Amino acid sequence: MAERRSSFNIRAWLLAGLAVLALLLVLFGPMFLDRFTLNVLTRSMIYAMLAITVDLLWGFTGVLTFGQAAFFGIGAYAAAMILTHMGASPALIALAFALAIIVPMLVGLVVGWLSFSYKATPLYATVISLVLPIVTTQVVFSGGQWTGSSSGLVGYGTLPFGLVGFFRLAGICLLVLTVAAWFFVRSDAGKLLVAIRDNEARCAYLGLNPQRLKIALTTVLAGVAGLAGFLFANSSGVVAPEITGFVFGTELVIWTALGGRGTIIGPVMGTIGIDYLSANLSGELPFLWNLVIGTLFVAMIILLPNGLAALVAKFLPAKGGAGAMRLTNLAAAGAQLTAPKEEALLSVKDLGKTYGSLKVLEGLDFDIRPGELVSLVGPNGAGKTSLMRCLSDGTEISSGTVRISGQEINGRTPNEIVALGVGRKFQVASVFESLTVADCLRLSLAARHRPSLVTRESDLALPAAALDILRLTGIDRMLERPVADLSHGLKQSLELAMVVALEPRLILLDEPTAGLTKTERTTIGGILQKLTRELGIAAIVVEHDLDFVRTISSRVVVLHQGRLVLDGTVEVVANSELVKTIYSGGAHG
Amino acid sequence: MILLLDIVTTAAILFVVASGLLAIFGVLKIINFAHGAWLTLGGYCAVVTTALGLDPWTALPLAFVAGALLGAITEMVIVRPLYRRPLDAILATWGLGIIIGQLITLWFGRDVQFTPNLLSGTVDIFGASYSIYRLFTIAAALIIGCAFAFLLEGTRLGLSTRAVIMNETLARALGIDVARVRLITFMIGTGLTGLAGVLLTPLTSVDPNMGVGWLIGAFMLVMVAGSSFAALAFACLVFGGAQVLVSTFVSPILGGITVAVLCALVLRVSPKGFSRG
Amino acid sequence: MVSRLILLTLSTALATGALADEAPIKIGIPVGLSGANSVVAPSVVQSAELAVEEINAAGGVLGRKLELEIADDASGAAGAQKAFDALVFQKEVNAIITMETSAARNAGLPIISKGDIPYIYTSFYEGRSCNPNLFVNAWVPEQQVPPVVDHFMKSEKAKKFFLVGSDYAFGRGMLQFSRAYIEKAGGEVVGEEYLPMEGTDWTAIISKLKSSGAEALITSTAGGSPNVTLTKQLRGAGVTLPYGNLAVDEGTAKSMGADAAGIFISASYVTSIDSQANKDFLAAMGKKFAGELRTPNDLSVPQYEGVYLYKAAVEKAGSTDTKAVLAALAEVSYTGPRGTVTMNKQHHAPLTMYLGQVQEDGSVKIAGTFENVDPGEQCPGL
Repeated sequence: MAERRSSFNIRAWLLAGLAVLALLLVLFGPMFLDRFTLNVLTRSMIYAMLAITVDLLWGFTGVLTFGQAAFFGIGAYAAAMILTHMGASPALIALAFALAIIVPMLVGLVVGWLSFSYKATPLYATVISLVLPIVTTQVVFSGGQWTGSSSGLVGYGTLPFGLVGFFRLAGICLLVLTVAAWFFVRSDAGKLLVAIRDNEARCAYLGLNPQRLKIALTTVLAGVAGLAGFLFANSSGVVAPEITGFVFGTELVIWTALGGRGTIIGPVMGTIGIDYLSANLSGELPFLWNLVIGTLFVAMIILLPNGLAALVAKFLPAKGGAGAMRLTNLAAAGAQLTAPKEEALLSVKDLGKTYGSLKVLEGLDFDIRPGELVSLVGPNGAGKTSLMRCLSDGTEISSGTVRISGQEINGRTPNEIVALGVGRKFQVASVFESLTVADCLRLSLAARHRPSLVTRESDLALPAAALDILRLTGIDRMLERPVADLSHGLKQSLELAMVVALEPRLILLDEPTAGLTKTERTTIGGILQKLTRELGIAAIVVEHDLDFVRTISSRVVVLHQGRLVLDGTVEVVANSELVKTIYSGGAHG
Repeated sequence: MILLLDIVTTAAILFVVASGLLAIFGVLKIINFAHGAWLTLGGYCAVVTTALGLDPWTALPLAFVAGALLGAITEMVIVRPLYRRPLDAILATWGLGIIIGQLITLWFGRDVQFTPNLLSGTVDIFGASYSIYRLFTIAAALIIGCAFAFLLEGTRLGLSTRAVIMNETLARALGIDVARVRLITFMIGTGLTGLAGVLLTPLTSVDPNMGVGWLIGAFMLVMVAGSSFAALAFACLVFGGAQVLVSTFVSPILGGITVAVLCALVLRVSPKGFSRG
Repeated sequence: MVSRLILLTLSTALATGALADEAPIKIGIPVGLSGANSVVAPSVVQSAELAVEEINAAGGVLGRKLELEIADDASGAAGAQKAFDALVFQKEVNAIITMETSAARNAGLPIISKGDIPYIYTSFYEGRSCNPNLFVNAWVPEQQVPPVVDHFMKSEKAKKFFLVGSDYAFGRGMLQFSRAYIEKAGGEVVGEEYLPMEGTDWTAIISKLKSSGAEALITSTAGGSPNVTLTKQLRGAGVTLPYGNLAVDEGTAKSMGADAAGIFISASYVTSIDSQANKDFLAAMGKKFAGELRTPNDLSVPQYEGVYLYKAAVEKAGSTDTKAVLAALAEVSYTGPRGTVTMNKQHHAPLTMYLGQVQEDGSVKIAGTFENVDPGEQCPGL
């Protein structure tokens, strides 16, 4: 505990001070604020809660959504409909409260399931988030007596709090949500959001299920929006179709953008500031005010995508290291050591891959046993990368079967295959550019060790093999460095360490040495040999450098025009006339 | 029979409205969320020509030029820095839509504006009277579709454009001025949208928000169509047809959200929409 | 909504002389300067300004000047909350007199109740909004629909009606009443169709209308844009049935040009009412606003009269005390452009209704006058 406390830096103290100030304002504000201001601020603070949900989805996770207004509206309407049609006894208010959260969450679950399927584009979630408020508004309009149609619902009983009570309630809810969100995004689990935004594919290849995570996030945040809706329905005493609408949804995004996406505090300040200002200062011409907001918004998106908060942050002391991150040795799972060497770890039968009418792979058959280091060679366009893809993503397989430890992987998504013990390293280092080295490494463990939702662990326990890589390459001294600052070679090594940290039984490496220096190459080669010989991991390496292949491989597979033409020891392949013909005839490099 | 005409003319109108958006999305991979504002701009070009006492048809070239000029400025100032941030481009153009809408409001006021009909009256067809103007929209859609086909297939610019669509890096390596192709495409797209705005005036009220109602529908259709005009035409027929059928046989209220909902579902099943078909 | 609360104080009462020492009576006007109502809002503000100017010139109310506080409600609930809040609790107005959307009115009512001040609602609406502080001096379906239906049945010998509306409270409320009234009168409704408010494509509905065998058409869309869109598409499709439009005003009719010709409207005010009071009113409006004049209409004239009704009530009550003013509001009357108006029927007012027909030039010719049409049972509890 003591360590964690010391890890708070100046920024954290600043923010803590801000939180205390906000709390004082919420508690004592009603003493000196006039009624009008209280009313406007109550609403602004409820909207700010929504802005936080938009920020978590868009700013952190990269899902641009216009749909939070719909969840807000659904929550508000669920509450208002109960209170209008059934009454406002304490029990019914409790029911309204429950439904205001549960109904949006159910809708959120459906929306999440629709929005985030494997291979859906990021734009698709935005498309759905546009359709949702349109449909919701239409349902409200068609609801007749039940929803009050265009006139909305009004005059129902509410929580008995009065103006000041609602101000404090909204303020405290906002404060709690802000602090919770602030801790969450800084926690180990919160890093997942940024990881998904940065590199969703890498998340999947770390065994995480980005779709499921996004669905869960959408569902939870729909519930939060519903809670805000409940507060709104109570404090304002009226619900109307416009609060469910797409236009309100876009305004939430505008407020979030102006405040500063990806900062939690920014959107809160932005929303309260703009909503309050627009209620007071917009002055003579409403159209002019909108023009100003519109212009600011466009300028902000182009010039200052991270909003005003980013500007402020520049003047604050730089993010300090969050205390010393300590590397420790994770007890090896040991499963791979006990696996009998004779049994095939990977078994490929008649594998084929086609793109439209183009056959990229055809009739591949081979097995790989534990401890083997198989190099995959062949000229460009031979199908090496396609084969790697088919081995790590079952949805890519067009025909034939691939089995890992006897289990067929056809149709399975990468994260499911990772769970079978397959790790994949990409040709271009696939890491999380916005995170630190330690965060990246910790994410490799996230699929097996549920990360904390609140705190950031100061211990980083990695398998010995991964630690070796870090030490050999010197990355162990850069744990708190942002990944974006690492050299190309170090990123490659980091990715390899991340993959090894998964403790895979089969590791797929696509040109692990491309663009590396001679020393780096030797280091990587040594690591690979150690992994296979000492730990019994099987490895498939796509490699162009035949010298490198010769030093490390236990076996070589040659692909040519999508077919397996040779499979044997280094000597057999090196002396093969066929291989020479292929390489001299095929494109070089 | 009337039903069939309703379907075809509805599809034609949707095609006219969405083609400008598609041209931009197809080449630039950017969604112009200010699309509605350009439609409105076109509508107000019709208002201006009426006020000047010109023939209503002169609004068409005027709207094309005005739309393209504004498009040029937009591409250079707003869109160009955002090619690598497509989601931000959506937001920036949405903001631009607000700006254009407010400027039009400040200039012309909020009121519904008067515009003369381009073509009025009905014609007897299959034993029932049918709006001449709606029939004309079929021709307009065909002209626009053919013009694009010609532009893409028959001109040098079209060749460059197709190269950019297929492989931008390669196109650049081949010495194609990608920036110029993008600028011209954006201008054509926005010019066309302005023109579509004029074509809408006989069917809808002309006010500062006239374009917004068409935006989502057009956006959805373009998402499904990808970058192909043939796919767009097909999508317009399918979803426009569905809209008419649902409106006729179920409820016009459901009809109003048919396009959006069906497009979303199609994209769920097939993320690439109709672009392969 | 990015709120557009605006508070421009139109202090017509730049007090001079003896009246200066007494605080002015403030009238709050939350109105849709932006959003759907922004087309009609300026005319409403203008007529209120004229009423205040006239009253102040004639010595004010109980020796106090009137002052207007105008706030934008953005034509919706959220904006109305801000506007009502600002007016009732920040500007501390003595009364609210305004036309608004039903959503905005509903959002404002709880605030009116909290602040306990009189609220005169000057917009026609779908009816049955009841609150002890609320008075309505404009029409409800019971008053507006019968003239149109009666005319179509008698003069046009129409029995089969087709109803088209925007899908919102007003559209549905009006057509629901129309259907009941038509059926009671022995007619038949052969179709009733709605399109969402943002809907732009009436194709399917028009085709249904054409094949339905209807002899008359009654529409009740949202004002402005949907109305224009529907009418343009109807005319484009060659629909020439007797056409009663429950939502068109003279200004909108003008912007539709020839497409509007022949449309029947039913209103408590049209500019062509042939009375001295109306002529004086129009002359005064023309003089005050000249080139800036927005055509007075069925929403702006009740606003003008609303200010006078409030004046009468305050004078009868002898103060601006809410309880006394509310009691007086149910009794006082005012004779203005629309004739004599008294809000004595459950907080609603019996009105003289006019059946008008839009002419080629956009003007409205009165085709029938129906005096003292009763609003019916709007708020039996009040």
